[in-house]
Amino acid sequence: MRWRIRHATAYRYAEPVDIATHMLHLSPRALPQQQVLWDRVACAPEPARVASDIDHFGNRVTWLFLDRPHARFEVVAEAEIEVAFPPPPPVGASLPWEEVARAAARDAGAAEFTLPSPLLPEHAGARDYVAQSFWPGRPLLAGLLDLNARIRRDFTFRAGVTSIGTTVGQLLAQRAGVCQDFSQLMICGLRGLGLPARYVSGYIRTRPPPGGAARLGADQSHAWVGAWLGPALGWIDLDPTNDLVVQEEHVVLGWGRDFNDISPLRGIILGGGQHALEVSVDLSPA
Amino acid sequence: MNAAPPDEMVDGRGHVRPHWRGILAAFSDLPPSLTAEAAPRGSAVIEAARRLDRAFEDEGVGALLPGAGRAGRAWRCDPVPLVLPAGEFAALAAGLAQRARLLEALLLDFYGPQRLLAEGLVPPALVFANPAFLRPCRSAAHPPQAPLLHTYAADLIRAPDGRWHVLADRTSRAAGIGHAQENRRMLGRVLPNLFRGQQVTPLRPFFDFWQDSLQRLAPPKAQNGSDNAAVALLTPGVHHPLWFEHVLLASALSCALVEPGDLTVRGGALFLKTLKGLQPVDVLLRRVDGRNLDPLEFGGPQGGLGGVPGLLDAMRNGAVRIVNAPGCGMVEAPALGPFLPALAERLLGERLALPAVESHWLAQPEALAMLRRAPADWTIRPAFDGALAAQPLAQLSDGALAGQLARIAERPQDYVAVRDIPPSVAPSAVGDGLAPRPVVLRLFLVQEGGQWRAMPGGLARSPEPGEGLAARLPRQGTAKDVWVLSEDGTQITGPAALPLPPLPIRRAAGALPSRVADNLFWLGRYVERLEGAARLMRAVLARLDRGPLLPRELAELDALAAALRHAGLAEAEDLPNAAAHSALQAALWRALREGGTVAWLTGEIGRLVESVRDRLTGDMHTLFSLPLRAIQLQAAAPPRGLAGLEDILGSILRYCAGVAGAAAENMVRAGGYAFLDLGRRVERGQTIAAQLGFALDQPASRIEGGLRLALELCDSVITYRSRYLGVLQPAPALDLVLADPGNPRGLGYQLAALRRRLTDLEGGDEAGLLPAVEALIDTVDAIPRALLAAGDQAQAAARLAPRIAALEADMAAISDAIARRFFALLPPAQRLGVEPAAEPAVLFWGAA
Repeated sequence: MRWRIRHATAYRYAEPVDIATHMLHLSPRALPQQQVLWDRVACAPEPARVASDIDHFGNRVTWLFLDRPHARFEVVAEAEIEVAFPPPPPVGASLPWEEVARAAARDAGAAEFTLPSPLLPEHAGARDYVAQSFWPGRPLLAGLLDLNARIRRDFTFRAGVTSIGTTVGQLLAQRAGVCQDFSQLMICGLRGLGLPARYVSGYIRTRPPPGGAARLGADQSHAWVGAWLGPALGWIDLDPTNDLVVQEEHVVLGWGRDFNDISPLRGIILGGGQHALEVSVDLSPA
Repeated sequence: MNAAPPDEMVDGRGHVRPHWRGILAAFSDLPPSLTAEAAPRGSAVIEAARRLDRAFEDEGVGALLPGAGRAGRAWRCDPVPLVLPAGEFAALAAGLAQRARLLEALLLDFYGPQRLLAEGLVPPALVFANPAFLRPCRSAAHPPQAPLLHTYAADLIRAPDGRWHVLADRTSRAAGIGHAQENRRMLGRVLPNLFRGQQVTPLRPFFDFWQDSLQRLAPPKAQNGSDNAAVALLTPGVHHPLWFEHVLLASALSCALVEPGDLTVRGGALFLKTLKGLQPVDVLLRRVDGRNLDPLEFGGPQGGLGGVPGLLDAMRNGAVRIVNAPGCGMVEAPALGPFLPALAERLLGERLALPAVESHWLAQPEALAMLRRAPADWTIRPAFDGALAAQPLAQLSDGALAGQLARIAERPQDYVAVRDIPPSVAPSAVGDGLAPRPVVLRLFLVQEGGQWRAMPGGLARSPEPGEGLAARLPRQGTAKDVWVLSEDGTQITGPAALPLPPLPIRRAAGALPSRVADNLFWLGRYVERLEGAARLMRAVLARLDRGPLLPRELAELDALAAALRHAGLAEAEDLPNAAAHSALQAALWRALREGGTVAWLTGEIGRLVESVRDRLTGDMHTLFSLPLRAIQLQAAAPPRGLAGLEDILGSILRYCAGVAGAAAENMVRAGGYAFLDLGRRVERGQTIAAQLGFALDQPASRIEGGLRLALELCDSVITYRSRYLGVLQPAPALDLVLADPGNPRGLGYQLAALRRRLTDLEGGDEAGLLPAVEALIDTVDAIPRALLAAGDQAQAAARLAPRIAALEADMAAISDAIARRFFALLPPAQRLGVEPAAEPAVLFWGAA
């Protein structure tokens, strides 16, 4: 499946900003199942300096530095992507979850994602919630699919009731939130069991295919969960907001331990006063 | 169960070791008492200790900070050094150099390919759960820029087997090196006789080497245009407990002392904000935690705003070299210790030459069981933060021990068990003589081109009883100088004879950072404000001293009380009446005490003196800070009536005069002094205007009293009398206090001085500053002329009060204009994310 993405962000400041530094995770990373045909990041006003690199997690990062006063700042990231996620392995092919947890502690690539992270400290409630899907000896994938469905069932998608700062505990209490909240709950609980889970940032199809159900969380960036099935099977992506195994309706930007590692845009500005923010995301078949 | 700790000075058979004989002889040669007073036996050492204490106190090593409570010394220095023979030191230096090479190799892997994790040599959790592993410093695509470690320090203790063992590694900032140098300097100054005939290796060549190596670390594309690299030492600022050490180091290494707010990143390069614009910085010697370097990359959406946005980009860009590289602190993790011997074999192909105190990461199988078998043999350290205090389990009660063991069993991966061995003991001045005290030794190394060089000295300290070893340097303690003796006398020659490469010519300190100018300006203002307050209070005091007051004197007291209120030195209810002045007297005491205006001023002055410490000579610093402490103590003492007040005010006035004199006589006119003086002139101008406004606020019939008070407040009574033979008229009196540019206590003089300074300073003519001063000069010149022309001078003078009082606001406007022109007043910084921010946080910058 081939997608065209356009992700535009605009900040309007009440007072001019003298100096601004921005850090962007807006360029999709290339993966075996995801080919980046072309991509670009454009910004206005023209920055004094643009730098880019690959971060610790292998994600693409771009830095923009502006040192002239400006009252408005706009970034548009565009890309064309070919995605072909392989189908998930049969449930029975995955190892019992306890064995995966043991292997993860020793695995250089997976161990990091078993540990608590700044936005996702250990949380007994999340662990207990997730643990209901993992009885002893259950194949990990069976538990994951069950968990994915339970979250979709138990929680209500409602925009505006949560923010970046919402904790897993608050979500468990209010039972409503957005993709980021559901993903964090799942990640936090899986890690509580010693299972590697990572926070994936990206996009999901905006318009449903004819006859298909509309997808939730389409108006902005989307987030879901990467889970590790063991050294042989590697990672699988699960979207608890839509109870989906990620296949061809998602495009990956990158991943990290939590939102902090992969925040699409962050910045430090001098001046500016109050600011207003506009974001628009468009994902359409190319 | 533990063997007796070895003695550094005495061997097993009770003989003094050869390398201690010289220092013992030196102590016995000291006169028994250096003062005339009789002293108890063994007093040479004790007297030496007392003199050292006094010398450190005079230098104000324990920083003087707001709130007199914190005054006092943080560290004592024992007069008896720890002596190491050359051979032993060389072995330690070689062993630590090997260890430093190993830690560098580990860092290059952790911040690079992470092969050690893939090969199973290092458990992944030791990297990924380590809070000092800084992910923004690693790229999955390319290796880090070597070298990462530039300085390295290690804490060592001598175990009962007689060998030195490494207790802890310090890879982040190697704190204590400046203190070590200071101890040596003070010991040499206070007790020069100790060094006579001893072959003590000097420290200076090491600092020269360090300074040169910092120069050579500069990125090749340093945009300086000259061969000299600009090196700066980055400190968190005056509130950091090691601020004084940062001042010392910056001076020892001849580099600029800067705070994050002094720096800015433009176009991928780092710059210092100075009065002459942005100056490039090529090498940053970091004394700030890596996580506080760049708010863009560290800290989440709610993170702080400290640091320099874009600094990491400038580092990646190769425009600035930061040492030690941010993230180096991760290999301090105590949990890594048990893995180091195997890693040395794998990475260096060598066995570790220097043993370490036995340690076990409790996440390892068997380790917990071993701990449970004999808990009293072990000390517990956190797995990652090597700066946190270690806890000797032997000191815990049974109940506390059980609780601690349960906590450990719950999360064994968070702890390390280190064998609890007593350090060796060395003689120290204790009580009235020498006594053996345990000693922990910190040694420092610097590398250049892969070669590590150890400072031939160090920081030894005697831990307090019960203090868990291996933590960060405590705020207080007893330090010892460390002497490395040379066995071969020919090695001990002056630094000049050493085969050093020729030093490159270094640029002078150069442009003044804007923040320093800002601090000096406010220092000038506050010292002047303190003086003004003391003068005013003394004028009030002189009237409280007298018996019943005449109506004329009461009117003066009313004017003075109004001025006191205006200056924040009294409240409305303190205003006097004919009957009782006790309320006013109480108000004066209140102003002096904690919470009062004068106490606040002395606190602020102390803080500003500390923050510009690197701009003052040692003598000047002493002169600026020591009397201040005495004033704070005096003011905190129980009230002693009018005489007590008189004493304190006298001390304050002497202090202010001393500061003014020392600054005028010792500071180079360009740069710093100009701002100190600008601050003083602006403040004095404001005070004069305000006080004259109150003094002249009289009906025409009483104007003569007002004029007399005006002359008194401007300290101009004698001058007036000698000029006009005591005939008091408004025009000549106001000419003297307002317009005459020759009267240093008059307003005209302040304005003339402002004009002179601003003309000298580049850029003073911008922003309409000079024209504003000139306009004000014209205004004050016109006032006495207008009085002369007036028919009834008394009537005209009585109408002047509001006009003169308004001059205070004019001076304040000039002060604001100076601040706008010279001190980079930044708009508040705020964090942007994908959600609109709630309230923008404000980043304060500068002194006021």
